Amino acid sequence: MFKIFIIEDDRQLVKLLQEHLHKFGFDTKSVVNFESIRSEFEQYSPHLVLLDVNLPKYDGYYWCRQIRNISTCPILFISARDGKMDHVMALENGGDDYITKPFDYEIVIAKINSQLRRAYGDYSGSPNERSVDVNGLKLDVERLLLSLRDNMVDLSHTEAKILDELMKKQECVVSRDRLLEKIWDDQAFVDDNTLNVYITRVRKKLASLQIEDAIETIRGQGYRLNPNWGDVE
Amino acid sequence: MKLFLREQFPLILFYIVQLFIITIVYWLDGYRHLTISLYAALLSSCLLISYLVFRYITNRSFYKRLENPLSSMDEFMNVDHSTPLAVSLHELLTSQFRHYKTDLQDYSRKLDGHIQFINQWVHQMKTPISVIHLMIQDKDESPYTEIGDELERLRKGLEMVLYISRLNTFDRDFYVETLSLEKIVRSVSSAQKRLFIRKHVFPMIEVPENLQVTSDEKWLSFVLTQLITNAIRYTIHENRKIYFRGFTRGIHSVLEIQDEGVGIPKSDLPRVFDPYFTGENGRHFQESTGMGLYLTKQICEKLGHRIEIESTINKGTIVRIIF
Repeated sequence: MFKIFIIEDDRQLVKLLQEHLHKFGFDTKSVVNFESIRSEFEQYSPHLVLLDVNLPKYDGYYWCRQIRNISTCPILFISARDGKMDHVMALENGGDDYITKPFDYEIVIAKINSQLRRAYGDYSGSPNERSVDVNGLKLDVERLLLSLRDNMVDLSHTEAKILDELMKKQECVVSRDRLLEKIWDDQAFVDDNTLNVYITRVRKKLASLQIEDAIETIRGQGYRLNPNWGDVE
Repeated sequence: MKLFLREQFPLILFYIVQLFIITIVYWLDGYRHLTISLYAALLSSCLLISYLVFRYITNRSFYKRLENPLSSMDEFMNVDHSTPLAVSLHELLTSQFRHYKTDLQDYSRKLDGHIQFINQWVHQMKTPISVIHLMIQDKDESPYTEIGDELERLRKGLEMVLYISRLNTFDRDFYVETLSLEKIVRSVSSAQKRLFIRKHVFPMIEVPENLQVTSDEKWLSFVLTQLITNAIRYTIHENRKIYFRGFTRGIHSVLEIQDEGVGIPKSDLPRVFDPYFTGENGRHFQESTGMGLYLTKQICEKLGHRIEIESTINKGTIVRIIF
C-alpha cells in the first residue's frame, strides 16, 4: 500500500483529502507539528508527498528542499497561487508537479497515480485501480471494459464516464447537467443532443450484455440506472 | 528677458521720478543750466543701465528657468545659480520637492502594501473555497448544485479582485509568448462548462488549429473568461450557441466571439468599456459589476490588442479581439 504524507495546515482540507485517498486504498498521514516536518517525514517514509506552499513558520519551498536532501520521492505541490512564477519556484525547489486550489478530486488522484507510476513502476493489480461493481456488472474504468458474467464489451472513454456516474449512483437520478459536465472535456462540440447520442450508445452496449431497459429516462431531470439483471451468484 | 524687464519696471519708474524731482528742486533753487542737468541725467542713467545689465547677466539662467516650464521633475535639480535670491529659491524648491517625494514614496509604499494584502487575502480565501468545493463535489442534488453555482460566483469575484490589483503592476507581471488560439479558447470555454450547461447554451469553436497569436496566456485567458461569461449571461433563450471564430485580417489575427443574446442598446454601446457602467442590460440582469468589459479593454490595451464590439438588440453581440 502506498503511503502519502500530507503537509497542509488547513485541518478540514486534510480531512477531506484523507477520506478520499483512503477510498482509493492509500495510506495517509498528515503533519502534527509544523516545526518538525522533516523528522515526521523520516519516521513515516512515505511514497509521495502532498505539500502546501503557505505554511506556518517556513514555506513549502523550504520544506521541499529539506525533503529533497533526504529523499527522491515524488512531491506534489498544492497551492492557491496560480502565477507562472509560483509554478517555476515549485519545480525549481524540487517539486514534481503543481495543483492549484480549488481542485477536483479526480485531478489529485490522477496526478498522484501518474507520479507513483513514474517513480515506482507500473502497479497494475494494486488496490488503487478503479473499478465499479453493481450486482455483478463490472466496470473497469482504467481499461474501459464492461463485463457481466463471462461476457465482456469494450467502451469508449465517454461511455465509460457515463456508466461510471450511473453505476456509482445506482437507483438514484443522475442529472443531465452532471453527465454533460463529466463528458464535456472529451468532446469537441457538446450540446444537449450529444448526451442523447451517448446514452443510446451505452444502452446498446448494455443490450449486448443482455441487459435491457436498465437505464431509465426521467423526463426533465436525468437518468437512473436500475439494476434489473438480478444477482449473479 | 520679458520677465526681467517686468520685474525691474518699478525700479526704472522710481528712478525716473527721482531724477525728475531732483532736477525740479535744483531748477526752483535758481540753477538753470539745462545742458549740465541733461548731462548729469545721462550719466546717472548710464549707471542704472549698467546695473541692470549686470543684474541680467548674473541672473540670466535664473530668469530663463522661471520663464520655461519644467518638462520633468528632476530637471531643475541640476542648475547652478550664483545670486543669493536664486540660490535661496532653489533651496526652497529643493526642500519642497524632497517633502513631496517622501510623501509620494509613502503613498506608493502604502499602495504596494495594500496590493500585497489583497493578494494574500484572495489566496487565503481560496482554501475555504477548495474545502467547500471538495465537500460538494460528489453531490448531485439540491441544495449542493446551487451551492456549487454560488461557489463558482465567489471564485470568479475573487479572481476579478486579484486581476484588478495586478493590473497596477502589469509591467512586472506578464510574459508574452506564441500561443495557439484554438487551445486557449477551448481551455477557457471548458473551464466555464458548468455555466454553459446550466444555461443550456453551447460553444461552437471554429478556430483554425494553426492560428497563433502573441500574447500573455494568463491575461488573455482572463479576458476571454470575461467575454464568455458575458456572452452566456446575456443569452436568455435555451439551446442557443456561442460562436468562436478565428481568422486573419491583413497581418492581424482576429478572434470573434458571437452570441445570440439580448444585445446592447445603441445608446449604451459607446460606454460599455467605462468602469462601473452597467447600462440598460445591467438593470435587467443581476451581477453586473460594470467592471468586466472595463478590465477587458484595459488589459487588451496593455497587451497591445484592439477590441471591437458590435451589437443588435435581440440578435446578439459580436466582440472581436484583434491581435
